[in-house]
Amino acid sequence: MFVARSIAADHKDLIHDVSYDFHGRRMATCSSDQSVKVWDKSENGEWHCTASWKTHSGSVWRVTWAHPEFGQVLASCSFDRTAAVWEEIVGESNDKQRGLSHWIKRTTLVDSRTSVTDVKFAPKHMGLMLTTCSADGVVRIYEAPDVMNLSQWSLQHEISCKLSCSCISWNPSSSRAHPAMFAVGSDDSNVTYGGKVQIYEYNENTRKYAKAETLMTVTDAVHDIAFAPNLGRSFHVLAIATKDVRIFKLVPMRKESTSTGPTKFEVQIVAQFDNHNSQVWRVSWNITSTLLASSGDDGCVRLWKANYMDNWKCTGILKGDGSPLTGSSGQPTAMSTVVGSSVQTSQNALNGMSAGRYFFPPLDPPRAGTRYGHLLPPSSLIEHCDAEPIQPQQQALPHRLSSRALLPLPEAEGQ
Amino acid sequence: MEKMSRVTTALSSSAVSGRTMFCHLDAPANAISVCRDATQVVVAGRNIFKIYALEEEQFVEKLNLRVGRKPSLNFSCADVMWHQMEENLLATAATNGAVVTWNLGKPSRNKQDQLFTEHKRTVNKVCFHPTEVYMLLSGSQDGFMKCFDLRKKESVSTFSGQSESVRDVQFSMKDYFTFAASFENGNVQLWDIRRPDRYERMFTAHTGPVFCCDWHPDDRGWLATGGRDKMVKVWDMTTNRAKEIYCVQTIASVARVKWRPERKFHLATCSMMVDHNIYVWDVRRPFIPFATFEEHKDVTTGIVWRHQHDPHFLLSGSKDSTLYQHMFRDATRPVDKANPEGLCFGLFGDLAFAAKESLISSDANRKPYPGGDRRYPIFFFKKPDPTEQFAHVSSALSVFETDLDSNRMDWFVKTAQLYLLSGKPFAELCDHNAKVAQELKRPQVSTTWTMLRIMFSDPANLTTPGPNHNLSKLGTLPLMNSFSMKEMGSVMGTESRLDRSKGESRQDNILLEPGNPHISNNNEENEETEGSEGQAEYMFGDAELDDDDLYSMEHDNQTEEQEYTLPQEAFQLRHEIMDNPSAPEHLQQDKADSPHVSGNEAEVTCLTPIESFSLISISQPLFSPHLPASFFCPIVREMLSYYAEQGDVQMAVSVLIVLGDRIRKEIDDLTQEHWYMSYIDLLQRFELWNVSNEVIKLSTCSAITCLNQASTTLHINCSNCKRPMSNKGWICDRCHQCASVCAVCHHVVKGLFVWCQGCSHGGHLEHIMNWLKSSAHCPAGCGHLYVTRLW
Repeated sequence: MFVARSIAADHKDLIHDVSYDFHGRRMATCSSDQSVKVWDKSENGEWHCTASWKTHSGSVWRVTWAHPEFGQVLASCSFDRTAAVWEEIVGESNDKQRGLSHWIKRTTLVDSRTSVTDVKFAPKHMGLMLTTCSADGVVRIYEAPDVMNLSQWSLQHEISCKLSCSCISWNPSSSRAHPAMFAVGSDDSNVTYGGKVQIYEYNENTRKYAKAETLMTVTDAVHDIAFAPNLGRSFHVLAIATKDVRIFKLVPMRKESTSTGPTKFEVQIVAQFDNHNSQVWRVSWNITSTLLASSGDDGCVRLWKANYMDNWKCTGILKGDGSPLTGSSGQPTAMSTVVGSSVQTSQNALNGMSAGRYFFPPLDPPRAGTRYGHLLPPSSLIEHCDAEPIQPQQQALPHRLSSRALLPLPEAEGQ
Repeated sequence: MEKMSRVTTALSSSAVSGRTMFCHLDAPANAISVCRDATQVVVAGRNIFKIYALEEEQFVEKLNLRVGRKPSLNFSCADVMWHQMEENLLATAATNGAVVTWNLGKPSRNKQDQLFTEHKRTVNKVCFHPTEVYMLLSGSQDGFMKCFDLRKKESVSTFSGQSESVRDVQFSMKDYFTFAASFENGNVQLWDIRRPDRYERMFTAHTGPVFCCDWHPDDRGWLATGGRDKMVKVWDMTTNRAKEIYCVQTIASVARVKWRPERKFHLATCSMMVDHNIYVWDVRRPFIPFATFEEHKDVTTGIVWRHQHDPHFLLSGSKDSTLYQHMFRDATRPVDKANPEGLCFGLFGDLAFAAKESLISSDANRKPYPGGDRRYPIFFFKKPDPTEQFAHVSSALSVFETDLDSNRMDWFVKTAQLYLLSGKPFAELCDHNAKVAQELKRPQVSTTWTMLRIMFSDPANLTTPGPNHNLSKLGTLPLMNSFSMKEMGSVMGTESRLDRSKGESRQDNILLEPGNPHISNNNEENEETEGSEGQAEYMFGDAELDDDDLYSMEHDNQTEEQEYTLPQEAFQLRHEIMDNPSAPEHLQQDKADSPHVSGNEAEVTCLTPIESFSLISISQPLFSPHLPASFFCPIVREMLSYYAEQGDVQMAVSVLIVLGDRIRKEIDDLTQEHWYMSYIDLLQRFELWNVSNEVIKLSTCSAITCLNQASTTLHINCSNCKRPMSNKGWICDRCHQCASVCAVCHHVVKGLFVWCQGCSHGGHLEHIMNWLKSSAHCPAGCGHLYVTRLW
């Protein structure tokens, strides 16, 4: 069960992005009001705004944290066609006494001619690198050759994606077997332009990024894209927010050592959900990549989880304002939310307990070897939560599990 | 003329029609102006001065005013204005300082009417009085504004701003005598046309030049100004002091600002540098443009609303030599692309969510997909008239905190902290970890550990229990063995594996049966429980726990010790190295030539499986069919991959470390390295530095072990002579004294050496702590007073 803690953000316009830092103790928000705010979690779990400053002269679309090894560093990007890198300065001013910290601009990246729509730091093992993508369809990769000097960034790569870019995500895998790779999404709404998600991979030989894959099935505007934390997997999982939520699995095909081209991927669509019934704006993975959260124009956050057969299901719906979800969407109100009240906690605890479990709808025949989800016919992959009765939850548990009781996911074992 | 008036009336009932269209000009435009009835537009520039007719589908060139064989500088226009009362009257501001008027009614080709050459420098702006036909105002770079009566040959009055160059002059729409002027020094002045001696009012509007100003067409008090400081400000001029009521932040310096007709809060801007777009802002929402026109390829120099009562048509001229008519419905709406939501998963499973308030507060303004058609994104449908909906918007931010253990990452942290990865015999490590997992309610993981113990433990070990437990041991262990095999299969999840292991276990059972009747009984029992699954887990757990209890009593101390001498030795030695103060520097070397370091543990312990196997076959003929540990390796390998793929890299790495060489060779180095890296990254996220360090140390991948040796340099100074220690030994080569002597016991300190940063004396941690209980001074007698908090 989730408890909604409402925070008075006090941004003067829309908040476009929220981002946790590496350790999950700080949060940054950015807004159209051209400012970025940094929030720190106090001992008692309250979030306090410790910095708020004007960052750009246009809407700030995204904000993201660098790995703390590089210091307390933020990057932001904006409608004003720039991206900026910010560093927190500690202990200099007396701002600290007022509980405020001081952030100074280390650099402004002005190469884009159009709105910079996303900014992301590359995975730490690649060094201090920053990627931006812009509405004119160019992805730019910058590197700070000296990690101690955040004001020097050199433009390393400029990759034209042809389509107006809206989001970018790095493959976080640190394996040497996986070349550096990122995915770009386009919010171009013209369906006829083909695949809106492109995947680029670094080629050691040419020292350039080359397109490795285009997800041709994603033809609608893509608003957000997120690689799942890799955690030692051999394949990659990609979540896409478009008119629905989609999860793709990219399995690198073994390639001959002689071939120099980009890695070929076996692209499997693992799940596709239109439960939001509207544009999906954001997707975000939890740290173990077992849980995916998505938010859409319906104002709800939906949580998705795979069972051991790689079947993804909706495990919870969170209403943005904490109010209970009306039955209109036909969802089991599995994870209800409570706004800031501890009183109701015990009462809803039961609710939450059951919610974490999977449903094993009678549709799924018990099958051995189904860990390889791609063997399943695609039709059964696209689950319609709406159609799912709530009862099977109880009825199905004992017997469905029988042949592999030891198999629920690590997290599922809590109950 | 008759026709004209007809058109005019038609337009007043707002029936301008057309589409987004453009035409190429011969030269870059500097300014454009539209005639009152919105049918014609004049384009003026350094090398162009033309009138175009606005037709339904296209621009049609009507008249070229730039005539004569050798056009004079008078034709080079910085600004142009079409009189709003008199159809045939135009005025231009020439770059050479001339103010020229043009009469289209002239029969000759040259339409030039009046020429005023009073300004000494470029005239930036000309402005006709909105209601007075013959009154023209000019503002020049020379800092003067002049008012002309077109019936006279000279200016009637001159206004001196006394500050700087004039960038814009605008007659007030409502106040007959008032005009505003904006200056390069950031000031705006208000003048009464009857009083040329001094301004009525002056205020600083911007930092840097104020390039433009525009009176609100309806509201007499509002003046919009735009400056190089990228801001558009709206001033309320009705109060005593000009009051800033709105401020719009644009992304580039503002060259032109024009209020949008019929929309009280809208204004259009364009920039003179960098930015080629035209923005329409709602001043109430000053951060994000309401609409954008992105057609121009170069700086937009002139914008004008086509008709003073029609908000849907905007004309623009640009340095890219094009003239555009923009339709409002073709404008891009940045808000549509702007993400109304932010969402992020925190480390502990909490979820930060920011969303537009209207989205979450009610479903009222949300329209779900119409019926079956899901091909079109929702925003194509949702705005009947977005004009009216673009008011102040804000987002609600909330954090969803989970109190569900499984979503929170507590299990991870606890597991990481409680797992034992080294320092004990293999079986104990497994048992311990199984117990940890059990306590954290992760039965699958717990079972895995137990099975690993069974699979890889030295069987001789298991079957030489204390005399008391003999029976129970024999009863439980083989049972668990066979059981585990089946379970193993299902853990793997692959059918083939399942079958095979089942087959094997059958065989196993058969072989065992004649030897021990207990086993077969138990086995049957077991198969029953296996049927009702939920129970089976518990059964298993219980059995295991019993087993543990039995074990923990005496077992450890008595028999196992001997068997495990080898691994223990390895661990012991590792500890010794940890104690070695110069370890960081020597580690690399040590690794190379001595078996004492964790890295090389491999060579020592790799003997164990073989050895143990030989032990079974000799001392325990009963268990001869016991499968060699290597048999399980493929299963375990798959199991580890399975865990890794399920996002539990913790398990994969822990097992990898605990099993050590039993499994290491089975998994390729890249994968191992990948797991280690991922796990270490996770541990560091959770700030579990100690665990992370332990894992790094225990890992056998060279890429991992070097992680905590990189980028850390330890500079050591001699505590006697305070000079840097150059060599690696204990003796300082300068003062030839032992560098790390305990100030209390005067022995050389091996292991933890604690010292004062002030006087650099120190010693054994324990000694110093004892010393400090009784005294606050340095034990070396140097007189340094310790601040106890220092330690």
